[in-house]
Amino acid sequence: MTAVIERPAAPPVRAPWRDRVRRAAIWAALVFVTLAVVRQVTGANALTSAGTVNDAIGLAVPIGLAALGGLFSERAGVVNIGLEGMMIFGTWFAGWAGYQWGPWAAVLGGIAGGALFGLVHALATVTFGVDHIISGVAINIIAVGATRYLSSRFFLGREDGGVNQSPSVPLIGRVGVPGAGGPLGTLEGKHWFLVSDLAGLLRGLFTDVSLLTILAVLLVPAAFWLLWRTGFGLRLRSVGESPVAAESLGVPVYTMKYAGVVISGALAGLGGAFLVTVYDGKFLENQTGGRGFIGLAAMIFGNWRPGGLAAGSALFGYTDSLRLREGSAAVHALLLFAAILLAILAIRAGVTRRWIPAGALAVAAVGFGVVFAVTDQVPAVLTPLVPYAVTLVVLALAAKRLRMPAADGLRYRKGETG
Amino acid sequence: MTADPTAPGPPAVELRGITKTFPGVVANHDVDLEVRAGEVHAVCGENGAGKSTLMKILYGMQRPDSGTIAVRGEQVKFRSPADAIKSGIGMVHQHFMLADNLTVLENVVLGLPGRFDPAAARTRIGELSARYGLGVDPDRLVEQLGVGERQRIEILKVLYRGARVIILDEPTAVLVPQEVDELFGNLAGLRAEGLTVLFISHKLDEVIRVADRITVLRQGTTVTTVEAGSVTTAQLAHLMVGGDLPTPETRESTVRDEVTLGVRDLSVRSDAGRDLLSGVGLSIRAGEVVGIAGVEGNGQAELVEALLGTRPIATGAVTLAGEDITAWPTSRRREAGIGYIPEDRQRQGLLLTQPLWENRILGHQTRPPSSRGVFISRRGARKDTERIVAEFGVKTPGVDVPAFALSGGNQQKLVVGRELSGSPKLLVAAHPTRGVDVGAQALIWDKLRDARAAGLAVLLVSADLEELLGLSDTLKVMLRGRIVATLDPATVTPAELGEYMTGVATQEATP
Repeated sequence: MTAVIERPAAPPVRAPWRDRVRRAAIWAALVFVTLAVVRQVTGANALTSAGTVNDAIGLAVPIGLAALGGLFSERAGVVNIGLEGMMIFGTWFAGWAGYQWGPWAAVLGGIAGGALFGLVHALATVTFGVDHIISGVAINIIAVGATRYLSSRFFLGREDGGVNQSPSVPLIGRVGVPGAGGPLGTLEGKHWFLVSDLAGLLRGLFTDVSLLTILAVLLVPAAFWLLWRTGFGLRLRSVGESPVAAESLGVPVYTMKYAGVVISGALAGLGGAFLVTVYDGKFLENQTGGRGFIGLAAMIFGNWRPGGLAAGSALFGYTDSLRLREGSAAVHALLLFAAILLAILAIRAGVTRRWIPAGALAVAAVGFGVVFAVTDQVPAVLTPLVPYAVTLVVLALAAKRLRMPAADGLRYRKGETG
Repeated sequence: MTADPTAPGPPAVELRGITKTFPGVVANHDVDLEVRAGEVHAVCGENGAGKSTLMKILYGMQRPDSGTIAVRGEQVKFRSPADAIKSGIGMVHQHFMLADNLTVLENVVLGLPGRFDPAAARTRIGELSARYGLGVDPDRLVEQLGVGERQRIEILKVLYRGARVIILDEPTAVLVPQEVDELFGNLAGLRAEGLTVLFISHKLDEVIRVADRITVLRQGTTVTTVEAGSVTTAQLAHLMVGGDLPTPETRESTVRDEVTLGVRDLSVRSDAGRDLLSGVGLSIRAGEVVGIAGVEGNGQAELVEALLGTRPIATGAVTLAGEDITAWPTSRRREAGIGYIPEDRQRQGLLLTQPLWENRILGHQTRPPSSRGVFISRRGARKDTERIVAEFGVKTPGVDVPAFALSGGNQQKLVVGRELSGSPKLLVAAHPTRGVDVGAQALIWDKLRDARAAGLAVLLVSADLEELLGLSDTLKVMLRGRIVATLDPATVTPAELGEYMTGVATQEATP
C-alpha cells in the first residue's frame, strides 16, 4: 500500500500530561530562580518573602476559583462572562448565611448563590438560546443592583449591617505545619541567594494557611481528574467540542451544558465565599473587584486547562500581593523580573524560528528593562496598575497556540444533527 | 415487496408506510424498506429523494408522522439515537460525527453508560480493530487523522456499541478509489461476521458493486427493490431519475492561446512554518479547464485560497491575463474577473439566513448589476437573481426566500450562477458538484462547458475522478503540496490517477 493510505504504525504511547507536568515544573523552577536573581540584584526582599507568598496564595485563590468556574462552563461550550456576577452573588449569600450560621455555612451559601445564577445563565443560553455574552453581562449588571437591594432588605438595621455590607461573619480557621515557621524564618532572614528565597517560599506555603485555601487548591487537580478521567468529564467536554457528535451518541447535550454552567456558578460563588470568610469577614459591596473577569482571563491564557489557569491565577495573585505589601519598590523590581522573563521567552521563540513572536517578546522585554533602568520607583498612581499590566503582558506573550473548545460560545439546538 | 420465504427469520429492519413532512415539503411519503439480516442493502436516489430523512428516522433522529418500524420482527418506537443504538442500529454519518480535539478512544466511548475505563476500552478497541481489519490507534487525536481513518473510527464507534445493523450515509463521497476499495473490503468483513449493512449512495456503480439488494427512492417514495446482480447502471439510473445518467464528457477542445492564469513557484507556509504548498507552477489558457486531482488535504485548498488572495503566500507570483496580481487583495482580484465556487457552499458560499438576492450580491458588491456607486442596487440584484434562477433552473418559490430553504443542489446552482455572472476570466471551482444530485450535476457541467467554450479559464479542484477526467483539458496531480504529475485526461484511467494521487506512481514533473 501507499504512504497515504498505509495505516501509520502506532506512535509510542505516552501520556501527554506527564510531559506537561515536567514542562510546568521546569518553568516554575526557572521563574523562581529568576525571582531570586532579581531579589539579589534589587534588594527588594519582599519578592520572595513568606508574607508575599502567603498573601499571593490568598489573592490567587478567588481568581483561580473563578477561572475554574470558567473552565467548566466553557468546556461545556458556554462562554461565561457572568462569572463576576455569580461571584458577587456568592459573596452576598455567603454573608447572609455566614452571619447567622457561621463560616462553613457561608461557604455553602456562596456555592448555592453562585450556582443559582449559574442556573439562570444556563436557562438563558442553553434553553432560550440567548447570546452568551449578553446573558453574562446581564447577570453582572443585575448582581450589583440585586445584592444592594437584598442587603437593604436583610442586612440594614442589624449589627454592623447596612445597604453595602453584611453583619460580621467569623473567619475560617488557619493551619500550618507545626514548627516549620521558626527555622525557616531564621533562614529567610539571612537573605542568602536561593536558600533564603526557598525558605521564604516554603514558609509562605506551609504556615498560617486558611483551610478553605487548602480546599480550593485541591480543587485544581480534582477538576482535572473530573474532566479528563471520568465519563462525566468526557461527556461535558464533548458538548463543548462537538455537540452534534455528542448528541449523535446519545449524550444529553442540554443536561451536560446545564451541569457545566451550574458547576461554573458554584465555583465562582465559592470564590465569593472565600473573600467573605477568609479576608473581610463580611459581605461588602464591590468586594469582588473584577476578580471574576480576571479569572476568565487567567483561564483563557491558561488555555482552558486546570494547570494553565492555576499558573495564570498564581501570577495575578503574586503581583497583586507585591503591590499590597511593599508598594512601589517591589513593583519596581517586578519590572526587571518581567523583562528577564520576557527575554527568556523571546529566546525560546527565536530558537524555534518563530520570528514575529520573538520580536514582540524582545521589544516588550527591552521596554520593561528600559523603564526599570531609567526610573527609581514606579509612580504611586501607577503602582496599582503595574501588576496587572505585567501579568497581562507576560500571559499574553507566553501563551501560544491557545485552543478554545471548538463549539465554545455557539448556540446549539437539539436535532440540528446531520 | 413480499418477504422472501427463504430468508431465515424476520428481516433485520422493516419500515412500512413511513411518511414525514416538514413545513412545505414532503420528505418521505409512504416509504417501504425491508432489509434482510446479514445482507448489504443499498438505498439509492437523487439528493432530495428522501434517503437521508429515511435514515434519520430509522436512527431515531427524527420521528415519522406515520408508519411503523420493526427491528428483527419487533415493533419499535425510537425517540432518540440512544433508543436506536439500544436496538442494535448504528449510523456512520456522511459528515463525520467526531470531536477533533478528543482522542480516538474518547470519541469511541463517548456517551456510553457506565464507568469510564480507558484501559478496558483500549483493549476492546484493539480487539474490534483487529477482528474487522480497521487498523485504529486509540490514543491519537482525531484531528491528526485522514478521511479514511476517520471513517473507520466511525465504523468502530458503531461496532463498539454492539450494533448489528450499520447505516452508512454516502460513505464514499470523500474517499479516493483505493480507500473505497478498502472500505468495501471492510464491509465484506462485516457481512461475513453476520452484520447487516445499509448503504446509502447515489453512485450507481458502487451500489451495484457492493450491495446484495438495492432499494430505489424517487421524490420521497419507494420506486422498487431489486437484486443487485440483475440490474445495470443504466437501468438503475432510469429508476432513479426517470432518465439517463449524465456524463461529464467534454466535446472538443476550446483551448485558446492567451494565458489567463499564470502561477510561478508558489509556496505557502503554515503558521508553524511547515510547507503547505511548495513551488507550484501552472498556467491556464483561455477556454481551458485544468483539473487538480489529489487526496484531500494535499494543498488543494491552500492553492485555491492563495489564488483568491485569502491566504498569504511565502514565495511566488500569480498573473491574471498578463497582469501581476500577487499583491492584490481579494476584492480587487474578484473585480478583475476571478469567480470562485467554494468547497463548502453553506459555510463559504452563502449566507443561509439571507434571501437569494442578497446572496447574489456576495462577491459582487462593487459591480453592476448589484451595485450603483456605493449603494447596493436592490432592484438590479433581484432582477439578476431572477435571471440566474431561470437560467440555472433553481427550484425556488422566489428570490426572497432565505438560502437555507433550498436543497443542496439548488443552492449550488445559485452559487455557480452567481460566479459565472459578470463574465469572469477565471473560475476557481472547488468541488463544484459535491453532494448534489445528478440532475443539478448535469446542469452545472453543461454550464461550465458553455463558459469554457466562451473562453473562460477554469481551475477545477475535485474529488470526483469522473468529473475531473470528463471536464478537464489537462490534469495535474497534487501530493503533499506539490504538483507531482501532469496527465492527459483522455488517456489516463482512474486507477492510474489513484496511483499518482497516493504516490505509488511518480512522474518527473517538468512543468
